Amino acid sequence: MRETTPWTVVALPIMLAGLALGAAALDSVLGAVAAGRPGPLRAAGDPLRAAARSLIAQRRVTLAPDRLLTRIGVISLPLAALLAAVVVPLGTEPVAAFPIGVVWFNAMEVAVWGAVWLTGWGVNSAYPLIAGYRFIAQGLAYELPHMFALITAALGAGSLDLTEVAAAQRGLWFAVWMPVAFVVYLISALAMAFWGPLGHPVSDDLAGGAAAELSGPDRLLFLAGRYTLLAVAAAAAVPLFLGGGAGPLLPAWMWFLLKTGGVLCALVWTRHRLPVLRMDRFMELSWLVLIPAALLQALVVALVVLP
Amino acid sequence: MDLSARPARYAAGRPRPLIVEAPGATRVRLAVEAELGRRGWRAAAAPAETGLLLVCGEPGPDLAAAIETVWQSMPGPRARVRLPVAAAAAEVAEALDRARAELGDVAAARADALTRSAAELHHVDAPAGLAMAERGPDRDGLRLDVLRVPLGPVLPHWPAGLRIMVTLQGDVVQAAAAEAMDGGGGGSFWDEPWLSAQAGGDVTRGLAARRRAGAHLDTIGRLLAVAGWPAAAARARRLRDDALNGPPGSRLISAYAAFARRTGRSRPLRWMLRDVGVIDAAAVERHGLTGPPARHQGDAAARLRGLLAETAAALERADDATPLDAATEGPRGPVERSPSAALLAALPELLTGTELSVARLIVAGLDPDLGGLAGAGAGAATMRAAGA
Repeated sequence: MRETTPWTVVALPIMLAGLALGAAALDSVLGAVAAGRPGPLRAAGDPLRAAARSLIAQRRVTLAPDRLLTRIGVISLPLAALLAAVVVPLGTEPVAAFPIGVVWFNAMEVAVWGAVWLTGWGVNSAYPLIAGYRFIAQGLAYELPHMFALITAALGAGSLDLTEVAAAQRGLWFAVWMPVAFVVYLISALAMAFWGPLGHPVSDDLAGGAAAELSGPDRLLFLAGRYTLLAVAAAAAVPLFLGGGAGPLLPAWMWFLLKTGGVLCALVWTRHRLPVLRMDRFMELSWLVLIPAALLQALVVALVVLP
Repeated sequence: MDLSARPARYAAGRPRPLIVEAPGATRVRLAVEAELGRRGWRAAAAPAETGLLLVCGEPGPDLAAAIETVWQSMPGPRARVRLPVAAAAAEVAEALDRARAELGDVAAARADALTRSAAELHHVDAPAGLAMAERGPDRDGLRLDVLRVPLGPVLPHWPAGLRIMVTLQGDVVQAAAAEAMDGGGGGSFWDEPWLSAQAGGDVTRGLAARRRAGAHLDTIGRLLAVAGWPAAAARARRLRDDALNGPPGSRLISAYAAFARRTGRSRPLRWMLRDVGVIDAAAVERHGLTGPPARHQGDAAARLRGLLAETAAALERADDATPLDAATEGPRGPVERSPSAALLAALPELLTGTELSVARLIVAGLDPDLGGLAGAGAGAATMRAAGA
């Protein structure tokens, strides 16, 4: 493991907070546009107000909850997002240059399953409990294609270190010559952050699902964690498929931010373009189409990189 | 000056109200939704999310009790607004202003917090020996926990005054009993033109057509919201408001056409609504269904297609000034036969055996209008039907 560069430790939380807030603001503005509100740009400030409201609001507790487990669930969501982000190179340097960064990223993202399940189960209420079931089902649907997409990128670079995966794309972005893996990754990015078309675990039909009984600071942590997770999923796409911080003129960290911002905007936009996909239907697509497609992509990449 | 006053006012600037509608209070709910749209306040999905409770119309005793439970569990700072059935737009705006001021008032919030016992919000004295969920055989022959959960009456995108007691195993509905809760008897807003014409009132075909389009767009908006497509739902609500009291028909038609194209052609939406809540000729016969579910038999996707087409046809006639003679076919069926009573009776059979998300789609797409039950004099508003 290489040395950590000090600036990355400071930059990572700032970048993540900025990207998460930006995603929330964009979502709010897109919502205002759809509702035809006059001056939709003014809605960009709504997430900050909602955060202030959460900080002021009392904490509401349901009947006989498991407080410890709920608290662990709520806190682990932003924590898992942050820990997943430490291996993502912010331009050229990650906070922690693990040689097995891809595996670490994957492990942290699976910790999210635990976070959502504990939050849903711990509050002792029917809707969040069902939301917990939903997320576990979603995990079963997206995790295998997701892992094959990650492995395909790692295979193309011959390394599990995200910095080296980015460096291996000097000539050609992986997104260009492994498009199937890239698309599968984007779908699974939505699923891991339970966002938009894959946001069934927190959808309105369960009065907010896993977040239905959360109020006050708990709610703020959970929702901020979810936006951060979406931002991290977008950020990881940059070293995996979009050439990392490489680009003309601008410094690497700026290219990284621009590319991450682009992917993040696309992910946020899907919520306004598509309805929620239920797992009883999506599972079939995932196992019958996405998994074989991702495997074929891995096979093609393996044949190309064969020495 | 209190240092917490400024953040409190800032936080209260855009409240997220939880809207509860009593049966027969559709007009006020529409006024509230329009005013919220103008202000950019988004509605809350759950009591925990909000400090503002908006009660539209006059709930009867049962519904009032349910609302009181919700109010008790709402985290402070909180405010409650009661809007009478006849509240005008100006009255709604004024009430919302007052609520915002109340939410930003630190002293009031503190006083409210002091009056609430710790047990009320925190259940500190919850008995350790709470009853555990019972178990029962499920559809796959396993023994699973059985939960009895009420759906409604306080639930987003849900018909006013409807409560469905469901027996759940996991997220599968094993049995359901639908019940219409009492309201202030404002009558059905959606059936008004036809009822009025029957009573000899002066109603144009254009007004009736606009009301029909509005009713369908309200239902479509609910279905889209429950289907997890909030942007399309917001467009449907906007078109609904325009259809009811907006621009001339020609402008409506082109705006609606774009919406209908995008919604009707969405493959993911069709994929999610396929085989959901299938109603065939036998079911129509059995429950005496009328209106759109009887005309557009099949699944929720077929019903949505039917509603979209009927809305387009209604908007074509939005400016028709000829009188609406003795026609009685309202948005949900013949107004004199209280079509929503049949919908209510059909729900338990349709919901039994479905997953909760599918159950919600079925209810949203059928959207029984319980204001119509009281208005049509259906007698006792309570109906029960055991699950099949």
